[in-house]
Formats: sequence, structure tokens, C-alpha cells
Amino acid sequence: MASSCSQALRHHVCKSIFFLLLLLILFIFSEEIVIPKKKTWSKEAVLQALASTVKRDPTASDYRFQDDPYLTPKTSSEFKLFSLSQESGRNAAKYFINTYPKYFQKDYAQPHIPCLMPDTLEAQIEEVSEAALIERIGMRKVKAAVDLYDQLLQAGTSVSLDVTNQLLDLICFYGDHDPAQENVPEQRNEETEDVQDEPQAKKGRAAKASDLLKATWKEKNNAERIFALLSEPNKHSYSALIRGMVKYGAYSKAFSTYTDLLNSRLKADMHMFNALITAAPEVKEKYNEKWELIVDLLKQMAEQKVRPNLLTLNAVLKALRRCGTVGKSQAFPVISEMKALSIDLSLASYTHLLAIFYKPGAPIQGQTDILQEVMNEVSGKSFTPQDPDDAQFFITAMRICLDTKDMEQAYRVHELLGVGENWRLLGNDFQQNIYYARFFSLLCMMENIDVMLKWYRDLVPSVYYPSSNVMRDLLQALDTDNRLDLIPQIWKDIKQLGHANRQNLVEELLTLMAREKHNQEVQESFAECALDIKKIYDTGDRGKVLLNWTAGSLSDLISVLLAAHRRQDAWDMLKLFKTHNRVPSEELLNKFLMCVKEGGEVNQAVELVQISAGFCLPGTPKLIQRVQQEFELTEQKMLSDLEIQSFNSE
Amino acid sequence: MATSLVRKTKLLSMVSSQLNSAACFRNIHCTAACLKNRAARIRVAKGDKPVTYEQAYHPHHIGHRKGWLSQHTSNLQGEDGAAERVVEDVFIRRFMYGTFHGCLADEVVIKRRGNLLLICAVMIQKLLPSKFYFLIGYTEELLSHFYKCPVKIEMQTVEEKVVYKYL
Repeated sequence: MASSCSQALRHHVCKSIFFLLLLLILFIFSEEIVIPKKKTWSKEAVLQALASTVKRDPTASDYRFQDDPYLTPKTSSEFKLFSLSQESGRNAAKYFINTYPKYFQKDYAQPHIPCLMPDTLEAQIEEVSEAALIERIGMRKVKAAVDLYDQLLQAGTSVSLDVTNQLLDLICFYGDHDPAQENVPEQRNEETEDVQDEPQAKKGRAAKASDLLKATWKEKNNAERIFALLSEPNKHSYSALIRGMVKYGAYSKAFSTYTDLLNSRLKADMHMFNALITAAPEVKEKYNEKWELIVDLLKQMAEQKVRPNLLTLNAVLKALRRCGTVGKSQAFPVISEMKALSIDLSLASYTHLLAIFYKPGAPIQGQTDILQEVMNEVSGKSFTPQDPDDAQFFITAMRICLDTKDMEQAYRVHELLGVGENWRLLGNDFQQNIYYARFFSLLCMMENIDVMLKWYRDLVPSVYYPSSNVMRDLLQALDTDNRLDLIPQIWKDIKQLGHANRQNLVEELLTLMAREKHNQEVQESFAECALDIKKIYDTGDRGKVLLNWTAGSLSDLISVLLAAHRRQDAWDMLKLFKTHNRVPSEELLNKFLMCVKEGGEVNQAVELVQISAGFCLPGTPKLIQRVQQEFELTEQKMLSDLEIQSFNSE
Repeated sequence: MATSLVRKTKLLSMVSSQLNSAACFRNIHCTAACLKNRAARIRVAKGDKPVTYEQAYHPHHIGHRKGWLSQHTSNLQGEDGAAERVVEDVFIRRFMYGTFHGCLADEVVIKRRGNLLLICAVMIQKLLPSKFYFLIGYTEELLSHFYKCPVKIEMQTVEEKVVYKYL
């Protein structure tokens, strides 16, 4: 009984222990097990992950070009030439495809790829109808559309307001000219002839190439005519007309059209207000008046309950750039108001902000913190293009860093370029060049040579082809940091970049090499470099002279050769003084004499004296004395010396 | 007149029936003779004919000492379109031969990766690089529009044709 009792007790104890353990386990794992949601990856996820492991290859050229040494561009002009010739090849192919479209109609692709089909350039619908008008508007044929509209009106059919608005949009967007057709060269000639006459008559000055490209709003053009024909223009028509006027420079007309709109009690829309704000600084002269006009427009916008968007903000900031001190005081209030309306700033807004506070050429008055604040806001974010002026941000920021000599902010700007899609906002090749030129100049000025060379090797020539000015800055940086032994390498790069025919650059190079005495190896490399430079100076194979000798450059070259004990080469170079009509300096001849003394060539010493006498240098007597003292001359030579001496003293 | 016609037709039917009989079975041969033991082989001659690696090795060396000039998957089990690929390849080779006339150093290699058509060519440095780029842009654009797929050219240049041996 006792045993059974104890057994029961043990059983109870076991059970309770078991129960306690269960409680304990439940207590520890008391949180619910949450099964995570299944992650779906996009189709390109693997490719993106792989792509993130590969960095830019600093030894490769741009992706456009073939990976072959013969086909890689080495200078910036070659870069442009090769990319343009590739584009012109593409245009030639497009011409053939569009001229003979019947050979390219067979469609293998599933799904259909519309961009690989030939373009239909000719209008299909021939009859005079509204559908034909819509088709021509869609194909962007301005003149044909206007002609068809006139035909429709003459025939008596009324065209609906929507279609007329579309036509007005087309005309105002293209400024009453047909957009340039790249594949049909003969059309373009006709157009340029037309445009050439107009600006000359209107402006009365010689039409430059930029005038031909930038069309102006002509008096009584088709847009105004068609607008006048409309019985009930709605706000879309007014909007198209005003935006076209502002785009093509008829600012005061735009404002008068706006007053017409207000008089006919129509409401304006956001695009119209944006255009008017852009036009505001053009119609008023004083800063205050400009600002008052803009404030007026913004108030009307609020009255008419039109919501501003990012382009409004950017237009206001751009106008403030031209408002001087008013701009500086009003910029931040404008930004805070816009932020209250939850409009996110784009890079263009920051560009205008920086331009308001940092005018080019103006002295910096302790406003360096604005750039820093802007960079704080902008760092780490990826921007998409929303405004055409976004592309100006990087070059403006780099200009400011260069002016304020701020290296830290420059690094941050450069880092921003690497974030996400921001590289698209650097602009075209020209703007890219400006950006990197400023970046490099700043680096040369501020950083020590090792950092500079690290950036140099990273960016040149895969991303940037430095201009000769930047190479001069680089040479000065080498000079400041006493790394003149790197000059021969830089000379090789200069030759490869095609700057070997710049007189200033080569002369500066020679001066830097000749200035001080270095150790033996360095002098040897300098001498090789000097001989290389000499080849550039010699006449090219077609008799074309690339560079002209000056006295300074000749002397520097000879000094470099002498320092490396290349007496024979130096002696040959001395003859060049006579052939190129340049006068050697006394120092050079003295140096030469010292070198000759080491060699012990008496004849050469005498010849040196003769040369000196030939140029009638004032230091000739001293030279003669030195020769007489330091060398053992035969009698013949002493006689000739005395002759020379007497000749000189006369 | 009628009788002579009838006789002529009778003659014809006699001749044709004779032809169809088992005794004479000569048919008309229309194509050129393409002997498989003479294809893609350059025969040994005096010793002054320069020959590239590709030309020196005969077709039975493909897979052993030579690679393939055209790479696509339509010859695998269950894939179709092999004949179309062959016709495309022939057109592309003729196109490249004509467009880059005199510049090709060796046969064009055509690779297909997914949708992409990759044309790999070795050229002699006969033209200026800008002219090469013009022709590359032209070829890529024209062939893309023709075949409705992206076409890319990978080009390598050599100074002269690379001679493997003289036959």
C-alpha cells in the first residue's frame, strides 16, 4: 500500500513536473510564430544583384565604343568624332528604312516591337476631313495641318473646339515652324531659308547661327490668326497661346493675352501661370517690380484655386535669380511655402537657390553654409529628371565649390553623382567636360599630389579628357608638391591627349624641367623627354610647322640636356639658335662652358666663344677670359681669340 | 494537217511511256554538284598561298581544332527554327562582306543570346576609325530593323590578315 501510495505520489509529482515544464516552454515561446510573407523578386533581380558587384572599369573607354585599341578614342575630339559618326551611320540606316519600308514589314518579333518598324512619314488620309487634321497633328506636320484647317474652314465644315485646341497646341509648341526632320535633308534647306529672312527684317542685326536655331514669335502668325477665328476660345486655347508666346519670346503679348482672358471671365490653369511667372522678369525692369508682379500672379493663382506644382516653384526661383537682393530675402520664404503645399524640391530648385546666393564672379561674403545645407538635404537621395534645369545642378555646385575652394563639399557633390540614377542628370558631353574640368582644377589646387594622381588615374581617360588648361594646373600641382620627377609620365599623357601642339603647355613643361637640378635618374628621364619634345618642334612630314622655337624654350631644352651630360645633343641644339634667329642667353653659354670644361674639348670651347661673338653678346669678353684661363690653348687659337677680343672691343 | 498532229501526239505518248518503263530511268539533274568531300577545304598547292587558321583546318576538325562560326540553340532536341537561322546567317555574312568590303580578316562569328544577335568580326585596319563607326552604326540599325531584334557588333582590329600557314 505504501508502495502504491508512493507510486501514486510519484506519478502526481511527475505529472506536475511535466505540467510545470510545459508551462515553462509555453512561457518562453509565448510570442506567436509569425510566418513571413513570401517575397516576390522582380524578373531582373538576379541581374541587378550581379550588376551591383561590378564597378566601373577605369581602364575601359565609354560603352558606346568598341573594345579595341585602334577603335578607342584618345582625345576629346576623337570621342566626339567617333560618337557622331556612329550616330550618322544610324541616321543613314534610318533613311533607307523609311524610304523603302516594304522590305522591313515582316514582323518576326513576339510581342511586337514598334520601334523596330519603319516610320510612316506620309499622311495616309488624303481627303479634307477632321480625321485627316488629327492625323497630321499627330505626325507633327505643322504647315500641312494649318493648310488643312484653312481648307476645312473654306469648305464650310466647322472644326470642333478640341481639335482646334490641339492644332493651337501644335503651332504654339513648334512656333509655327515644322520640326526639323533629320532624315530628309532637302526639307531643312527650305526651312533655313525662310527663317533666315525673318529675323533679319525684324531685328535689324546680322542673323547669327543661334538666331536661326532659336525661332521667335512672329507678328500675325498662324496661331494668333486661328485664335482670332475661334468664336468661343476656352481656357485651353488661351493657355496654348500664352505658353507659345512665352516660349518664343513675345512676353508683353503674353501678358496682354492674359488680361484678355481675365476680361472674358475665364479661369487660368497652372501651365499658364507657370509661363507667366517665367515671363515676369522680362517685362519689368526693377527688382521690386518684378517681385511684385510675381506675387500678384501667385495671389491670382490662389484666388482662382489653381494648385501650384514643382514647375511653378522652379519658375519663381528662376525669376528670383534675376531679382538681385530681393531674391536673396525671398528665396527661403518661397521654399517654405511650397514645402507647406507638399511639393518636393527637385535638383533644379536647388540649382536656382545656389545661383541666387552665389553669383558667378561676385566675392563670397561668408555664405558658405548654404552650399553645405543644400548638400545635407540632397545627399544620399536619388533624383529623377523633372525639370530641364535639373541638368545644371552639378556644374553649378562644382562651380561654387571651385569659387569657395571647398574640397569637402566637392567630394559630397561627386558622391551624389554615384547615387542611384543621378548620373543621368549630369547632362550631355559638353556639360560633363565642364564638370570634370572644375573638379580637377579644384583637386589640383587643394589636395596633395597623391590624392590628385589617384583621381587622375581613376577618371582619365575613361571618363574625362582633360583640356590643356587642366594639364597646366596639374603641372603646377606637381611643382607645388615637389614631384617633378613625374613630368615624363605626364608628358606621355599630354601627347596621347593631343595637346602636344600647345605652345604654352610645352614651354611650361620645359621650364619646369630645366629649373632645378635633380638626381641622376630623374635627369636621364628628363633628357629623354626633352629629346621627345624636340621631335615635336621639328618640321612635320608635310612641312607643317607645329610649334615655334623661342629663346626661352631652346635654352631650357639645352639646359636639360646638359644636366644629363648629353653634350653632343646639346651641341646640335646650339646650332638651332642661328637657324631660327634666336639669341642665347649668357647663363646658357656659361653653363655650356662648364660642361665643355668637364669634357675638355678645347675646340668646342673656342667655337662657343665664336658663337657668342657672332651674336654680339655683351658677355663675350668675360667668356673669352674664362676660356683663356681654364683651357690650354695653342698659339693659333690664342691669336684668333685676340682677334675676336679686339673685334668685340671695337 | 489534222492527221500529222495526231501522229505527233502519238509519237510523244510513245516516247513518254518508254521513258516511264523500268528500262530507262534517267532524270534531269538541276542543281550544281556540291561534293561533301570538297567543301570548305583549301587544297595544298605550290606553297605561296597564305591561309588563315579557319581556312587551314577542314570541316571534320570542327569541335576538335576549330570552333563553330554560328552559335544558336535551334539544333537542340525539341527546338525549331534551324532553317530560318541558317538563312539569316547566310544573309548576315553576305551583308558584312559587302558593307565592310575588303576589311574582313576572317569569317564572321554569329552568336545568339536570347533575343540578341551578336556579330563578332575581326577587321583589318584599312579604314579610319570614324568610318568604321559609321558602318557599325549603319549595320546595327539596319539589321535590327530587318530582323526585329537587337543586333550588336563586337569588332576587333588587326593590322594585317593573320596567316596560319602557306599552302
